[in-house]
Amino acid sequence: MSIKHRLREFKAGMEPSIKETKFMLGRIKQSPLSVFGIAIILFYIGIAILAPLLAPPTLKDPYMIPRERFYPTPQPPSEKHPFGTTEDQLDIFYGTIWGTRIAFWVGLWVVAASLAIGLVVGCIAGYYGGIIDELLMRFTDIIIAFPSLVLAIAIVAALGKSLDNVLLALVLVGWPGYTRLIRGEILKAKQDDYVEAAKAIGASDFRTLFRHIIPNTIYPVVIVASLDIGAIVLTAAALSFLGLGSPSGYADWGQLITISQNWIYGSSQNPWEYWYTFIIPGIFIFTFVLGWNLLGDAFRDILDPTLRRR
Amino acid sequence: MGLRSYIIRRFLLIIPTLIGVTLLIFFVIQLFTPEQRAMLYIRDPRQIADIDDIIRIYNLNAPLHIQYFIWMSELLSGNLGFSHTAHTTVVNALIQRFPATIELVMFAIPLTIVIGVYLGVISATHKDKIVDHITRSVSIIGWSLPSFWLGIVLIAIFFGGFGVFPPERLSISVQRYVTSTEFIRYTRINTIDGLLNGNLWVVLDALQHLVLPTVTLTAISIALIVRVMRSSMLEALNKGYITMARAKGLARKEVVNKHARRNALIPVVTLSGLLAASFLNGVVITETVFNINGVGRFGVNAALNFDIPAVLGFALFSGVLFIVANLLVDIAYAYIDPRIRLG
Amino acid sequence: MKDLLKVEDLVVKFYTYEGVVEAIDGVTLNLKEGETLGLVGETGCGKSVTSLSILVLVPPPGKIESGKAFFKGENGYFDLLSQNEKSLMKIRGKDIAMIFQEPRAVLNPVYTVEEQISEVFMVHRIKELSERVLNGIEEDLRKGGSLRDPIYRFEKKIYKKILKNPNSLSPKILSKIPIIKRYQRRLKKEARKEVVSVLRIMKIPDPDRVADMYPHELSGGMAQRVVIAMGLGCSPELLVADEPTTNLDVTIQAQILELIRELKEEFKSSVLYITHDLGVIAELCDRVAVMYAGNVVELADVFEIFKDSLHPYTQGLMESIPRPGVEFKSIKGEVPALINPPLGCRFHPRCPKGMEICTRVKPKRTEAKKDHFVMCHLYSGS
Repeated sequence: MSIKHRLREFKAGMEPSIKETKFMLGRIKQSPLSVFGIAIILFYIGIAILAPLLAPPTLKDPYMIPRERFYPTPQPPSEKHPFGTTEDQLDIFYGTIWGTRIAFWVGLWVVAASLAIGLVVGCIAGYYGGIIDELLMRFTDIIIAFPSLVLAIAIVAALGKSLDNVLLALVLVGWPGYTRLIRGEILKAKQDDYVEAAKAIGASDFRTLFRHIIPNTIYPVVIVASLDIGAIVLTAAALSFLGLGSPSGYADWGQLITISQNWIYGSSQNPWEYWYTFIIPGIFIFTFVLGWNLLGDAFRDILDPTLRRR
Repeated sequence: MGLRSYIIRRFLLIIPTLIGVTLLIFFVIQLFTPEQRAMLYIRDPRQIADIDDIIRIYNLNAPLHIQYFIWMSELLSGNLGFSHTAHTTVVNALIQRFPATIELVMFAIPLTIVIGVYLGVISATHKDKIVDHITRSVSIIGWSLPSFWLGIVLIAIFFGGFGVFPPERLSISVQRYVTSTEFIRYTRINTIDGLLNGNLWVVLDALQHLVLPTVTLTAISIALIVRVMRSSMLEALNKGYITMARAKGLARKEVVNKHARRNALIPVVTLSGLLAASFLNGVVITETVFNINGVGRFGVNAALNFDIPAVLGFALFSGVLFIVANLLVDIAYAYIDPRIRLG
Repeated sequence: MKDLLKVEDLVVKFYTYEGVVEAIDGVTLNLKEGETLGLVGETGCGKSVTSLSILVLVPPPGKIESGKAFFKGENGYFDLLSQNEKSLMKIRGKDIAMIFQEPRAVLNPVYTVEEQISEVFMVHRIKELSERVLNGIEEDLRKGGSLRDPIYRFEKKIYKKILKNPNSLSPKILSKIPIIKRYQRRLKKEARKEVVSVLRIMKIPDPDRVADMYPHELSGGMAQRVVIAMGLGCSPELLVADEPTTNLDVTIQAQILELIRELKEEFKSSVLYITHDLGVIAELCDRVAVMYAGNVVELADVFEIFKDSLHPYTQGLMESIPRPGVEFKSIKGEVPALINPPLGCRFHPRCPKGMEICTRVKPKRTEAKKDHFVMCHLYSGS
């Protein structure tokens, strides 16, 4: 069967979902909070794309924050440094702008990789069932239930401190969640009549999966993924904060906050002397995660079957 | 069948879960090199010179299942290795630091549950009014805040700005007193020890230091409880037994508190497993930010300093704590919902 | 016989997202002392809402817009719909009790049968129970010489307070303090005696064991008996039964009906029995009110309704009862949605005897024959 035919089949299977999507988007527009969430995310996408323009890189690795002249203490916001500088004269503005790219990088990569693994393993478990399913589910249950940060710390300790290893650790901690999700949907679909019918006609396993089951899993996955990105970025920031992520001087929000810890108290006359060192990066993290959480919440409310009304 | 037999059955179920956790940790261990893994079996730093011997004795290059058995037998005999950051065995290090973690958690958990449930109930009974909107907003904000950042900001505001609620566990003078011979450390939990020694100053000092870490730890987990409690309360309030209770002549408040709430708590209790994990994560961050010498900070420190036995011991310890927490949650669940006891 | 309950022009509306539902559109009915009044109609005609309105328990977004519900009290009739919540709480469960459909949905799954039935006693008969407790304490004190005497004296003080004022604050506070709250054990023992005795009246076998059971351990029939026990526990004057046998097996249904009939005799209650089952109406009721789309279209003696019904809807209902050898007839059309009810008489779109005036003017309630009320232009003499 030609690729064109397969594609056409896939599109046909997707059609009801596409109609649903249009309806959903309409509903989303009605909720002010979700619009706010989308606005935040679009704003950050803008910043991430425009990073080279907003904060032109001067070093070979654009993710290393450039250092200026040496001052012993962080410098307050000025024309040259709109957000001020932190320890060792790292430009906070540069760090937070390029940190946006890192945030998207981490969030999207972890979700994509976890989802990919989850799809494969979930399909195997769901479709073949039996003892394979049992064992896989026990195993994933334990990972899901185990405190994620603790596990991630252990993994990064084993692999070495770096942002890439943080990503890897988060993927290792995150894939079971998606596995369960996909497997659940497959089990549900297995009971559906059209899968039985397709099998009766003699459709191959792969085709059944592709055309019928996968399009139906898109919605739950979208909800979980969008809520998840927020949590992932928070955990990654926490790992960076603890010192297990990118090296010092890297444009990473968590990194910026960890080096600001020395400056939480200013002089006795002005305890908030160095507020910009930790407040500004923190606001970036907070609003970024808030945007995704609002979006995920909105998706969840909208896709809640009891609230759906045509 | 009753509560008692359910509890016994549930206890027995711990064994397979424990095995599962050890398997998980074992897989993480395999990510290390044999030299690093050898450190797990050493109790005394002087043995490091004979590392090749150790690798041979413990078969660290043998197939996985053999290694697993060897490791498990070491574990069961109480050997988690030697921690070079703590200068003592891992087991010792964990025991020394555990009280600090307990002190933090013993205030945070009840606070989180009580406040979370209360806010959830109010939110549901005043649905769509101002209270509800405020609670939900605070809830989603709490869910989006980086916990370490919250801790830092709180320190900056209260300690940096107003000079109250200092970080760490005790002020320097009190710390000196507590480690002196005049003070008996029964539990090494300062608030309790202070009470047992009849010394109110120690108690107050410890409490003062506990305020910000507890708030940070609570804020992390409370959003989840409020959200689940609210939705399960809304569901419970729609049920038939609510109308029946009112038809019997009970006041609205009593109906909410007595009939709806207990049913609404059921999903919250099942969620508490998740909450236990969230607390363990939170403890790691909070102890680091506030410089509290507990199990969490120990683990992070170990990870930063390549103290492998300590990191793994910490992970294992967290796993055990976590299993115990889940056990307690399940028992609470059976207590609240009699339908579960039939199994 | 005098009227026990008289509902006049009850109007209830539901303010939903889709619009305002005119659920109850001016319902008038009366229930006489000692009788069983049946309230019959299709699903959605408003029977449940009417019954909930009597106790002012209509859930939001419903609102009782206007109307009166006169109930015969000690000092004459008073309007239930204009009472404050505090007075209503005294009436609910005691003077007017209500039982519902689907017993297991109406019982709280996390409390035992005893805990739920004794609630009614604690709310309404606490003085009586406290007196019994005090007698028990006196007994214990008279036996004398026990180490527990000071405890008994303390308990005596608490119960005297409760006797004087059931809502007094100090016993409530004391009931929260761990060891002291054990004073409640005496009260709970007395309540349990009452619970077991009422379960026995409900013909529940082994009432002692059943009292400690949870709702999920009960069969459908047993659960409904427990619900009835909750309703009749304080010997109410009026029992409102909202389809109590609808979801039960036919054999159980028969048992429950028999039980209700006996209990009505024993407790001397009047019953407002809501159902869509004409068979039950025939068996149990003295008079019948027929409801359609939020109105009582006919109200008469049960024999009149079955033999000589006046309203076209009632006639349609009677004809649609399946009979061997007779061709099956049904009322054509569907029940209207009450967001946009038909103008004039709400039945006119389906009425075989519809006239021009029915499409414009809402018929008035008239007494077509003695004690036989209809809401239909055929009888309004215009």
